[in-house]
Amino acid sequence: MSQDQFVLPGDIIVTGDYQPEQNVILDGDRLMSTAIGFSEIKDDLVTVTPLTGLYIPKTDDLVVGKIVSHNALSWEVNINSYYPGILTASDIFGKDYSPSRDDLSLKLNTGDIVLARIANLGSRDPLITITGENLGKIDSGELVKISPAKIPRLTEKNGSMIQTIEESTNATITVGQNGLIILKCDNSAGLKKAIASVKMIGMIQYEVNIEDKIQNILDESN
Amino acid sequence: MTNLSIIDKLKRSKILDLLQEGKRIDGRALDESRPLVIDTGVIPHANGSARARLGDTEIVSGIKVQPDRPFPDMGDKGIFMCTAEILPLAHPSAETGPPQPPVIELARVVDRGIRESGMIDLSQFVLEKDKAVIGLFADCVVTDHDGNLFDACSYAAVAAIITSTVPKWEMKDDKPTLIEDQESPTPITTIPVSVTMGRIGEFIIVDPNLDEWECLDARITITTNSDGNIVALQKGGDDGFSVEQLVKCSELSIVSGKKIREIIKQATEGTQ
Repeated sequence: MSQDQFVLPGDIIVTGDYQPEQNVILDGDRLMSTAIGFSEIKDDLVTVTPLTGLYIPKTDDLVVGKIVSHNALSWEVNINSYYPGILTASDIFGKDYSPSRDDLSLKLNTGDIVLARIANLGSRDPLITITGENLGKIDSGELVKISPAKIPRLTEKNGSMIQTIEESTNATITVGQNGLIILKCDNSAGLKKAIASVKMIGMIQYEVNIEDKIQNILDESN
Repeated sequence: MTNLSIIDKLKRSKILDLLQEGKRIDGRALDESRPLVIDTGVIPHANGSARARLGDTEIVSGIKVQPDRPFPDMGDKGIFMCTAEILPLAHPSAETGPPQPPVIELARVVDRGIRESGMIDLSQFVLEKDKAVIGLFADCVVTDHDGNLFDACSYAAVAAIITSTVPKWEMKDDKPTLIEDQESPTPITTIPVSVTMGRIGEFIIVDPNLDEWECLDARITITTNSDGNIVALQKGGDDGFSVEQLVKCSELSIVSGKKIREIIKQATEGTQ
């Protein structure tokens, strides 16, 4: 099979001396897909980019999460993954955090949206942090969800696609690697176009001329 | 159902902002229901069945008719019972296990709407007074949850009942005995239609979807019969309605109910 081949779970992508990467397993000398998606062979590395699926956390990834609950020591954050993100109380209150003195719900409450970074992937649920530039609670904007598998499409070529959308609509786009995107724009027409463009990228399964399609949306009634 | 999913604060504020402009998040008018599609005969071996799709909420309802003992205080009437279940595939937060209070409420509200309208003439279901009657059981299964399960379940159950047939039983040796190949349509007297409305701030919205459902201050489900009379009512939520709002809800339920009744009639025409 050649590069960029549509594969199903169990499909043999290539046979020989290759290394299995994301969504690929080695069966003898056969490299087999474990997901529905497109295979890619780069040097001796074989990967499959899935068409759908939840977010697999990676350290240092920027993610957008929703607070779903909290206990005395941490918040549980839905990061559109198989695992909940854990935001520790000390991340916000500092090292001298005391459960008896500090109330977590005063800082972040259920339903709040946060921009966070994956801090640590241990054996348990991923730890996230909101200490850092531009990280923290998001108070305004529009939240759009696309498949995490489509995020590379949005950010490829050093984010040129995002730049195009931002320049044409005056919107600010914050992309979480987990498929959640926050769009902010002062004029509603621009916001509408920016949302439509991002959703379009989320909808398209496999096409080469995405740029043209996005440009069409942006050019509409301009 | 109110705690089924947590709506993010950004969406909540957008819903509230849009309502101020007289708009809803999915573009509907405030008094507009989502599109309703009803398919009948979806379960071949049931005595009657229907699938109702209200927007992205989908319910499958099946009818089972069988002889039973009457309730002690209603020996001269048959039995009608409605149950409901949310399948785990309906929503990420739905779990298997014993029904939670919101699901029990769902079944009871749907049951009450149908029962109190007198939709089924249960007096025709008596085999022997105080001893044996026919029971009609409507089981509603939620296969897709996008809010307002009350109405969707009610439409599915009502459509399934209309299309159902009742096998013939006779008392032989003091026992109900099935007479093969003899069926009659279920005796229907009226078509009850439930309409659920929600209040967010001072705005009344008809048929809230799941996002709106999470923002409701209060909700009310009003069931009307074919004559446009109110036959059942259930209020839920932490807050209340003013008298004016209640009057408005009643009027909305009658107007909206009339349109939906036509859709149910068309979907079930000639199916018995």
